Amino acid sequence: MTSKSSFIDKTAMAGSWLSTLLTMAVPAVLLAFLLHRSMPAWSVSLFFGETPPLDAMLHGEPVFDGIWPACVGTVALVALSTLIAIPLGVASGIYLAEYAHGRLGTLFSFCVDMLAGIPSVLIGLFGFSLLLLIRKTVAPDANTGLLLSALCLAILVLPYLVSTTRMSIAGLPSELRLTGASLGLSHNQVVGRILLPSAMPGIFSGVILAIGRAAEDTAVILLTGAVANAGTPGSLTGNYEALPFFIFYLSAEHQSPEELAQAFAAALVLLCLTGVMLGFARLLQARLDQKWKTGHLN
Amino acid sequence: MTVRLLHCAAAVSALSVLAIFGFLLWFSLPVFQGGALAALFSWHWRPMQGEFGILPMIAGSLCLALPTMLIAFPVALGLCAFIHGMGPAWAARPLIGMVRFMTSIPTVVYGLVSVFLLVPLLRSSLSGSGFSWLAAMLTLSLLVLPTIVLILDNQFRMIQSEIGLGALALGLTPAQQLLRLTLPLSSRGLLMAAALGFGRAIGDTLIPLMLAGNAPLLPHSLLDSIRTLTSHIALVVATDSQSAAYSSLFACGLILFIASFLVNLGLHDLRNVRRKGHD
Amino acid sequence: MENRTPELNPTAIRIENLSISFDGRHVVSGLNLKIPQGGPTFLLGRSGSGKTTLLRAINRLNECLPGCETNGSVSLKLDGEWQEAYAPGMHAEDLRRRVGMVFQTPNVLPLSIERNISLPLEVALSMPRAESNARVEQALRDVHLWDEVKDRLTAPSISLSGGQQQRLCLARALALQPQILLLDEPTASLDFKAAQQIEELLDELKARYTLVVVSHSLGQAHRIAEHVFVLRDGNRIDALPRQTFKDKDMLLAAMDELI
Repeated sequence: MTSKSSFIDKTAMAGSWLSTLLTMAVPAVLLAFLLHRSMPAWSVSLFFGETPPLDAMLHGEPVFDGIWPACVGTVALVALSTLIAIPLGVASGIYLAEYAHGRLGTLFSFCVDMLAGIPSVLIGLFGFSLLLLIRKTVAPDANTGLLLSALCLAILVLPYLVSTTRMSIAGLPSELRLTGASLGLSHNQVVGRILLPSAMPGIFSGVILAIGRAAEDTAVILLTGAVANAGTPGSLTGNYEALPFFIFYLSAEHQSPEELAQAFAAALVLLCLTGVMLGFARLLQARLDQKWKTGHLN
Repeated sequence: MTVRLLHCAAAVSALSVLAIFGFLLWFSLPVFQGGALAALFSWHWRPMQGEFGILPMIAGSLCLALPTMLIAFPVALGLCAFIHGMGPAWAARPLIGMVRFMTSIPTVVYGLVSVFLLVPLLRSSLSGSGFSWLAAMLTLSLLVLPTIVLILDNQFRMIQSEIGLGALALGLTPAQQLLRLTLPLSSRGLLMAAALGFGRAIGDTLIPLMLAGNAPLLPHSLLDSIRTLTSHIALVVATDSQSAAYSSLFACGLILFIASFLVNLGLHDLRNVRRKGHD
Repeated sequence: MENRTPELNPTAIRIENLSISFDGRHVVSGLNLKIPQGGPTFLLGRSGSGKTTLLRAINRLNECLPGCETNGSVSLKLDGEWQEAYAPGMHAEDLRRRVGMVFQTPNVLPLSIERNISLPLEVALSMPRAESNARVEQALRDVHLWDEVKDRLTAPSISLSGGQQQRLCLARALALQPQILLLDEPTASLDFKAAQQIEELLDELKARYTLVVVSHSLGQAHRIAEHVFVLRDGNRIDALPRQTFKDKDMLLAAMDELI
């Protein structure tokens, strides 16, 4: 080894160690800072303010000064958007993997990849302009709200679902298809009863990405209905609260140190809430997997 | 019947991107028709005086995204190199796990921590309010870093699965294998990661919104306040100041869309060349 | 090219002027063949002579591979009637339910042992649980696997040994109650003992099914074949007389001469 290449080797080594140490510090500092600054806010009133928790959760008593409505809003957003996006995305992925051929398939794929690269604020702008159009034409009283936001979030997370589904199915061993065919299954049956269940782990990784993305997005909901104070979402239209927006709003507009501490606590709550939703997704995946592999649940 | 349903689903997914483009185009039409196009390309955004120049925002987007990539890409490469040979083998899995965790942290949380940790730091050690080009740049680098690492990691793994055993048989250490074989072979993968990272950086709204200060002016120093196309859109819509400003907003959106389209076209070409090369 | 089989058994499969190409490349051209009922009928030949493609033409599995074009006719005696495999009205799925196939490498589905058999029954035959349970047990008994797995039917099929997996694949094919069984080098990936078990099984099954076996193993053909055909370059097929393949040396000599 010449001394020149040895110098490059050593610099590269030093550079990579430095990068790693720097990067490792980040999540540690982040979490520590969040914990530290959120300390004052941890209590039941963080979630429910002055309202008794059970009344708020079961009887719909309005909550002021608490993040419960924002939590409900976030969960509602994720649920609605994934309800729209998952069937659409998985169906599209199946189509692109198994039925689309030639130019049409390439065109569709390009469009979906394009969608993946679009800044989220443009999708929010699209939703906003859609509403303007609806107001001018069919429904002058239409409003921003959960439905519009969920629709836009669905568009946002669609590419994750389409590409993970497509890659999972395309990546299955080809013997699986031949085996299915040799057993007298039609193409549709092979796709639906063998390929799709086999590709579940991959598909669910897309679902998990989608859930995470829908829970954390701020730019889209900023333009389509999220506000700082709206109470627990009562309908699909009309303003609502969501955790990411709550955090964003308080970071700029907090009136007191207590409110700021709430923002930090909300950040941790968002992380935990996302974790819980992901946990549910993994549980569902395990159950589906068991049903597929053994024919029944138990 | 089922196949037709699937076809429709795929069509809807593909058409949604066209719908977005269509709406942007439609709503920015007043700008083109009214001859206000020239007025858009000015350096002054003063809606109260009827000036809707968006050049400062275009400059802001570029000034933020490019330096961010200059910081984030080398660090991501260094980290990925560490995972794939420069560092001890046992560290690879926990590090990837840590990077995955970092991608799952919401953007708003990065912003929040930066506002109350980085900004005061800048304010006290340097001049200005702290809400600056520099603050946004550093935080955005942190944000796109894990994404770039994961893409690079994927690329490296693909290549190493092809050459790994052969390289070991030649007596190369993992570090040498990485530096001398994997890296040169993954030039396309590096380009792809850079393109994707750039797309991510230019498309982010929240970091510039929370940290860059939002003055629609061309920056002269790192501590100046800037505004990007993305934060501009969010600000104008959210404040709902003047609907006269709306058309210029959609023009901003159109510019962002075209930029994103070009990045995607480049990525598409890179992917196709890679595939052909492998055949 | 004609074959010269004396018709001891009635014909079960009639192949006329069969030509198959993939993306324009001919693998099989102008083949004529009559496969008798029962068997086992062995198809021998060098690698690349088109044996597997010929076998797959019988259950139209070649259509699942890209760029395939098939010309000529394949007729099968099913339920006492002659059926044209490539007739416009014949659905490939229906054909494949009556013509079972076993592959070279055991291709168990990534499911439990029991589900490997019950899933095709449920999907291909729309069979309710109760009925399919009985068929599963019968199929596993037919391949002498029942006693080995009856206590762990819900275990993953990949936990079985190679020989057991291949028997499971055979059971899976038998559960659909086909009339013809196509076996593509069924013992190629198995150890000696497992191969022996499969050969004994084939010997039992030949009374109830028409068996067509593609094989590389002259020894296997010598041991269990009832009829032997040798395929050359995809366009020439010769029948070997019984006394030839029942004598090891004569078989070897004949093969040397033919290919």
